[in-house]
Amino acid sequence: MEILTQLIFSGIALGMIYAVIAFGYQLTFATSDTLNFGQGDALMLGALVGLTLVGMGVNYWLMIPLVCVFGAIQGAVVERIGVRPALRIKSEFGWIMSTIALGIIFKNVAENVWGHDDLKFPSPLPESPIHFLGANVLPMEILVVVGAVLMMAAVELFNRKTIWGKAVVATFNDRDAARLMGINTGLVITFSYALSSMSAALAGVLIAPLTLTGSTMGAVLGLKAFAVAIIGGLTSGMGIIVGGIILGIAEKLTGFYLSTGYQDVPGLVLLLIVLAVRPAGLFGKTAIKKV
Amino acid sequence: MKSRPLLLAAIGLALLVGFPFVVANPYYIHLAQTIAIYAILLFGLDIVVGYTGQVSLGHAGLFGIGAYTAGVLFMKFGAPLLLTLVAGVAVTAVFGALLALPALRVTGPYLAMVTLAFGTIVQILINEMTDLTNGAMGITLQRPRLLGVTLDERGYYFVICGLLVASLVVVHRILRSHLGRAFEALRGSPVASDCMGVSVYRYKVYAFVISAGLAGLAGSLYAYSEKYISPNTWNFELTVLLLLAIIMGGRKTRSGALLGAAIIVILPKLLDDLDLFRTVSVTLAALVTAGAAVQVARGKTTVARSAIPVIGSVALAVLSFVLTSMTDWRLSIFGLITLLVVYYLQDGILGFVRQTLGWRGHGASDAAAAATLPPPASAVSTAASQPATSAAQDLVAADKVLMQFGGLKALNDVALHVARGTIHGLIGPNGSGKSTMMNVLTGIYVPTAGSIAFKGQSIVGRTSSRIALAGIARTFQNVQLFGEMTALQNVLVGLHHTYRSNLLDVALHLPRYLREERAATARAYALLKFVGLEDLAGEEARNLPYGKQRLLEIARALALNPELLLLDEPAAGLTAPDIKELVVIIRKIREHGITLILIEHHMDVVMSVCDVVTVLDFGQKIAEGTPAAVQADPQVIKAYLGGELDASAAH
Repeated sequence: MEILTQLIFSGIALGMIYAVIAFGYQLTFATSDTLNFGQGDALMLGALVGLTLVGMGVNYWLMIPLVCVFGAIQGAVVERIGVRPALRIKSEFGWIMSTIALGIIFKNVAENVWGHDDLKFPSPLPESPIHFLGANVLPMEILVVVGAVLMMAAVELFNRKTIWGKAVVATFNDRDAARLMGINTGLVITFSYALSSMSAALAGVLIAPLTLTGSTMGAVLGLKAFAVAIIGGLTSGMGIIVGGIILGIAEKLTGFYLSTGYQDVPGLVLLLIVLAVRPAGLFGKTAIKKV
Repeated sequence: MKSRPLLLAAIGLALLVGFPFVVANPYYIHLAQTIAIYAILLFGLDIVVGYTGQVSLGHAGLFGIGAYTAGVLFMKFGAPLLLTLVAGVAVTAVFGALLALPALRVTGPYLAMVTLAFGTIVQILINEMTDLTNGAMGITLQRPRLLGVTLDERGYYFVICGLLVASLVVVHRILRSHLGRAFEALRGSPVASDCMGVSVYRYKVYAFVISAGLAGLAGSLYAYSEKYISPNTWNFELTVLLLLAIIMGGRKTRSGALLGAAIIVILPKLLDDLDLFRTVSVTLAALVTAGAAVQVARGKTTVARSAIPVIGSVALAVLSFVLTSMTDWRLSIFGLITLLVVYYLQDGILGFVRQTLGWRGHGASDAAAAATLPPPASAVSTAASQPATSAAQDLVAADKVLMQFGGLKALNDVALHVARGTIHGLIGPNGSGKSTMMNVLTGIYVPTAGSIAFKGQSIVGRTSSRIALAGIARTFQNVQLFGEMTALQNVLVGLHHTYRSNLLDVALHLPRYLREERAATARAYALLKFVGLEDLAGEEARNLPYGKQRLLEIARALALNPELLLLDEPAAGLTAPDIKELVVIIRKIREHGITLILIEHHMDVVMSVCDVVTVLDFGQKIAEGTPAAVQADPQVIKAYLGGELDASAAH
């Protein structure tokens, strides 16, 4: 029982990370119907840049905003190089391939800069667990949950309360109409990519102290977060949190009771099944196709 | 005309056979083997990516399944080469069918993610199922034996080349047959495919199964060629490399796949040789810069637009001198190449060459050949000659049809009875539910309630393709042609139902297939003539002017041998002379005994050709009768012109 509670706690922390990355998918999908296939690599870059900053003596808490800025710039670059030309020629294949290509380039650059081996990320909080409901919880796990929720809440508030946020929501509802109303939709899309990569980079520095950091950490995380985005529905904010937590717990249970080698399987299988059965996700609405 | 491909094929074969005798070095023979294996894999991938237009990131996984099927059979049972090859194809094809299941529901980025998940699962399973696969240790194979002889490098090379040529011929024939056209139609417009009786579901599964089968063949050949397989080969990078090969070589061509295979096999070797790479990258940068300069000088592009490829290629050249070892930067270079190819070489190297030299594709030459075939007795099938049900019975009897989207009742309790042999007009203001009615009749929407009978049989809940095959054809309000296919090919998709040939008939060009293909081509050409498009038979549909596209849709719909033809705003966007032509065609269609339902906003067209007119407004039928009676109906006038709601007109 104790083990189970503990697995559930660490599952929730992991699940929140998935939710943040999935949130990033939602942001870009909302404004431009596109996704960054290199989202996992944005997370990895965020974590590694954070590690370097910490290594240079920057305080962990001070490092977070710096990494966020880096993430935002990286996202804007992806949008300018990879997505905008494809949107101009209305090529779905184009943005899929170019975001994949950019992801590969980022990963390869990271390999060459930081090496092939996984690195330990120093924990900013005490590494001794706190006892809670009879289970051990790492302070870092609590930070992950809090950080993830704050991040998502901040973006939601921004979208709802500010005029800039209204432009984002307008672009989400109808890109062409928004453009005709004088909104610079191109800028909004760039902005959504910046936000998206920023949240991924933040997720990276949040999870890094719990796992190891390295150039390969992003790929599978990005894919499983996509599973979460699909399960939650690409338009539902609550859905991704629920989806993330379900997946996080499922993974921890699989890893403990079956084998850590199979840990990634539940998320991937879930993705296959959900897309084969209910593509709009558990929380999303099915779109009516028009002819 | 025929001699050039034959000559090229002979030269190609001679090169293939001669290569291992000229170059005796086993290293190079092995390299050639690898290229041939990747080419087989790419033929298959091109079916999914090039023809059905889906991004598959799962082909590295399928390739791995093929290799491991061969490897495991060899390791556990010492199975002979022929058996492992057959098993490799069969097992992988089954996995391809599995992969097709989600592909039936989703497309585009979703499918890309699904296939990526599939590939990742395959890699995990190969790693973890150590009892079966030896896990991370990998499997070592020995030289294969065939007919009691142990094959050396050269012998195995010939086995691979034999299979390469066989796959090339089979794939080429499949893709140029009705099956290939069905695949391509899925890409152009899934809805239109279904409404032409080409089931999107079935052909997506076919495409994935054939594609996976080829990946399996390539995989099992690869296992013997490398003599050692391990789980890490089938990773994400390989998948991306395969896609790069397809788009760089050129989609929808077999020669593009061969070229792509050669590039992705040779390029990594090239990167290992720094001096050579420096030479190549400088040459490339010079070529790109010169090309861009010429384009700018001719006014075909602007400096700003051509700046990126120039900067990119120059940066690559500079980079090659800065770095001391390229090997570590291999993936970045592949990534850069992918970016450049995706945006600046969309049709691949072969497409670019073809465009520059002005070569015509198969589509155009096929269309020219079609004109020489003897014309069929009649282009348009005569509906009256088909077994008629009782003449008094209505062809279509729809009653109490309700179509609800959320809270909106797009059709509310509508009845529509269409008498055989008539032209039935369906009019109403925008948003009145006309097109919804069409979609309900053709099975695109399943009505929330109500009954629809066609020839006395209920069609509610049947799939679009079954309804189409039962004899209801349609055109679309927003034209749904298969854009990259020629006019002739578009009509041939409509004639898909005339084929009985199976995969074997197509692959071996058995008489049945050849007969059917000839008959269908002649018929398609005659149909184009019927609507006056025979001169444009070889033109890609997307290049036709708008009015001609609408006529082409009618020709394609007639190919189904329909008893009922639904025309959704055929005159929209047509010029006055075009409309006259259209009216003549509509009358001619009716003379063949085909019943028509016509949605149209041009009242002169409706009033001149229709026997009965039904008027819809806000999803309800407000009037029905002869054109003259409907025109005089006050309700109709109100619906069209608005007007005061006086007490007497209250509903």
